[in-house]
Amino acid sequence: MAKVLEGPGMGLMKKWGINVPNYVVVTSVDELTKLGQANEWLKKSKLVAKAHEALGSRFKLGLVKVDLDFKAAEAATKEMIGRQVGSITVTQVIVSEMIPHKEEYYCAVKSTREGTEILVANCGGIEVESNWERVKRLCLEIGQSPSPESLEKLSKEAGFSGALAKKMAEFAGKMFACFDSEDAQYLEVNPVVLRAGDDELVALDAVTLLDGDAKFRHPDWNFAFAAEFGRAYSKQELEVMAVDSKIKGSVKFIEIPGGDTAMLPAGGGASVYYSDAVVARGGKLANYAEYSGDPPDWAVEVLTEKVCSLPGIRNIIVGGAIANFTDVKKTFGGIINGFRKAKSEGKLKNVKIWVRRGGPREKEGLDAMRALKDEGFDINVFDRNTPLTDIVDKALQAK
Amino acid sequence: MSILANKDTRVVIQGGQAGVNAARRMAEFCYLIKRPLNVEAFVYPPDAGKTNEIPYGSGLLAIPVYKSIAEATKNHPTLNTSLVYIGADRAMKGGMEALDDPHIKVVSMITEGVPEKDAKILGAHARKLGKVFNGPSSIGIISAGACRLGVIGGAFDNLVLSKLYREGSFGVITKSGGLSNEIIWICSQFADGITTAIGIGGDAYPGTDYVSYLEMFENDPQTKAVVIVGEMGGDLEERAAEWYGAKKRRVKLIAVVSGFCQESLPKGMKFGHAGAKEGMKGEGSARSKSDALKKAGALVPPTFGALGPAIKETYEDLLKSGQVKAPVEPAVLPRLPKTVEEAMKADEVMVAPLIRTTISDDRGDEPCYDGYPASELINKGYEIPHVIGLLWDKRLISKQEAEIIKRIMMLSADHGPCVSGAYATILAACAGIGLSQSVAAGMIMIGPRFGGAVTDAGRFFKYAVDNKMSVDEFLAYMKKNHGPVPGIGHRVKSLRNPDKRVKELVGYVKSLKVKTPCLDFALEVEKVTSVKKDNLILNVDGTMAAVLVDIGFPIDSLNGFFILSRTIGLIGHWVDQKRQDSRLIRLFDYLVNYAAPKRREVPPLK
Repeated sequence: MAKVLEGPGMGLMKKWGINVPNYVVVTSVDELTKLGQANEWLKKSKLVAKAHEALGSRFKLGLVKVDLDFKAAEAATKEMIGRQVGSITVTQVIVSEMIPHKEEYYCAVKSTREGTEILVANCGGIEVESNWERVKRLCLEIGQSPSPESLEKLSKEAGFSGALAKKMAEFAGKMFACFDSEDAQYLEVNPVVLRAGDDELVALDAVTLLDGDAKFRHPDWNFAFAAEFGRAYSKQELEVMAVDSKIKGSVKFIEIPGGDTAMLPAGGGASVYYSDAVVARGGKLANYAEYSGDPPDWAVEVLTEKVCSLPGIRNIIVGGAIANFTDVKKTFGGIINGFRKAKSEGKLKNVKIWVRRGGPREKEGLDAMRALKDEGFDINVFDRNTPLTDIVDKALQAK
Repeated sequence: MSILANKDTRVVIQGGQAGVNAARRMAEFCYLIKRPLNVEAFVYPPDAGKTNEIPYGSGLLAIPVYKSIAEATKNHPTLNTSLVYIGADRAMKGGMEALDDPHIKVVSMITEGVPEKDAKILGAHARKLGKVFNGPSSIGIISAGACRLGVIGGAFDNLVLSKLYREGSFGVITKSGGLSNEIIWICSQFADGITTAIGIGGDAYPGTDYVSYLEMFENDPQTKAVVIVGEMGGDLEERAAEWYGAKKRRVKLIAVVSGFCQESLPKGMKFGHAGAKEGMKGEGSARSKSDALKKAGALVPPTFGALGPAIKETYEDLLKSGQVKAPVEPAVLPRLPKTVEEAMKADEVMVAPLIRTTISDDRGDEPCYDGYPASELINKGYEIPHVIGLLWDKRLISKQEAEIIKRIMMLSADHGPCVSGAYATILAACAGIGLSQSVAAGMIMIGPRFGGAVTDAGRFFKYAVDNKMSVDEFLAYMKKNHGPVPGIGHRVKSLRNPDKRVKELVGYVKSLKVKTPCLDFALEVEKVTSVKKDNLILNVDGTMAAVLVDIGFPIDSLNGFFILSRTIGLIGHWVDQKRQDSRLIRLFDYLVNYAAPKRREVPPLK
């Protein structure tokens, strides 16, 4: 699941014939000023300026300004660019035209196990959140496209009538076409508005989640995916992502500021159980990490360096289930190199390391870890006979 | 009994190297349970027509590779299962091809990162055809004592430790590949082991979900309980709970769900598998799944660590009620033959080496010459002549000796295009022959009449010096036993037209004030022979030979100095011709004396 920012999201909707407000994404006021000279609508319309970043509650942060003329939009842009919010620096602002309207509606398309679901409601904005029963659904099996009749029926069920029912049906049809053709996993337009003047439906605000795995067949996805957790990726996270994109197998790393228990477990399944165990024992996670699919040792070494660099950590959990084909000796070799490097840089002082693992060449790998004791590491090594997450219990009980 | 994979499962693997690796693991399992390999064919168009070699026990099996599933099933009509190891961008096409073949009933996709839409299409297509599509991102399926599909179960030692050679009573369904092995291991330690373990893959919408497999386990009398390892995200665990709670089920259900950590993490932070994502309104959270399963009557231990004791408790109940009997372990299990390297490491076998070397070793991170690391030699100022000394005579020669060798090489690097070696190389180069073959053509010319007299010259001069012969005795000895003295005589050069290379080398060596008995003797020989005939002078071969013997190089290495030096020239000639794009050359008729019989009639064949 890959989140797409508003700009590229609107671009995809426009591609499939959905009306969207005119908009520009700029990285400086100068750019906006130049665009103002080239685009009449910027001078004529009332405008909205928003920080174009993966940030939650932008309104509260003052990063959404409405009802602006061009001069005010320039001022807002100037104010927003460069603003620091947590780990994110605002680098882009999206300026779009305000659409004069009275009515607000809701339309979404989402992925289900059977196929797809189209959701329509004749209320929108925050109203739909509190009146969820007014949302009507059309379920489609995979491979099936909605007929104009079924869409009109859905639209009428949701309370639309006459010409508007037809318009809403068409709008939903285009949403489906966009969803289906662009390998989307979730498309939500809230609100859909009835534009004063021409009575056309326009998508005012949208959430677009695409299937990152389908990127190979979408050469026009020339935008970066946004982090989904309300902050930008950190430098360390981006570096691990860069390694991940280059290798067989995978390495993952997410920082959680303020934690003291660092995670360096193997496997997408076991890693979450390890994290659960830390939380269940009252520990505070300093990060999430995982390596899986027999990655090269150098990639695991990079991941280890990042984990060792986390501030204020007391324990490192090098956990893992019994691997199917990940070579324990080789991947542990990468971890050991990372540990040694961290130690030579003065890190890992007063940090306890806890190891539990099984799999191909487990004995050699665990022996190599045990040998780190002789190099002055505070390390405790366990094999398959110690249940998976027991090292977390031991780590959090140890003083 | 087992589900999905059994003793009748015959497999085709779609894919390249990853598929071959899986087949090797599968062969280890087949060997353990003493059954023939269940992989009959591969489908991989780039290698169609070839075979993949799969070790089985101490032997090797050749498994054919086909260009399509249709071709594979035509040649192997018993095939009924396909494993897909094709890249994510082509996985759907491969999966469809397998599903559409009437022979294939089960398709398991191992490929990771398959687009969600493709996975759904494959799943729906399989359901329509009444077939099973398992995965994507599945680690595989294993039925104890019967059949292994994919790498699930891990290394051979783990198969044995987890008692996968015989049936137990527990079914296993997991999303995670690594955890499937962990659960199999736990079932073998806390209970009697597994019947079948299935990896359904960690994607959001796997082709087959828990419920379909629970239904199969319910109908398999050998399976008494099923362990599910769930994850937050999606609704597969809720559906399983719904199925379990719907009516009285024969199998017991034990389940754990991961993702409780989400409750205390920043919102939207996503961990683990693609499918592990919480819904917008808290549906699909670890807690809601766990609650649903508990409510349906499943045994849900609070943590993963408590799973072992929960399985133990269930097993003891089954034993007590007589539903299962304690398993009888086989007395002897097959052991995977060790590779020669492994057996040597364990001191179990002695191997007579095929070759023996005393000069170099590159098994470490860099080559060592006679024990000295190459980089250290470089960093301490040693040069090419020292490497020659180490590899040809196993000693670190002195600076002075190195200087002599350097000069010898510089003097013999090339002698123009007309000599046999260079001419042969040029001839080959003009015929469009490559570098190594052209240089080899020149090299072939080195022998008794061209460049190859150094060793013999050195041998005879040394013989004379060692036996304290006078020049006259030596010449008489040579005349009687061997003929002309190697190293003496030149086609072009003579006393009046001396060879400057010889003068240069002799001058330098003499200036060093070292003992040079062979060179001195050779020069005495020249004094006598050159009186007899003007061109019987000490030539460059003879001079090199005498000097090299004097500095202690072994006789048999002496020709090597000429070969090595002249290679520089031969390479130069080849490059020179190549650069000029020289045309093919042949001899002109006027350069040949045609002394063959005149043209005549061929007599009738008798």
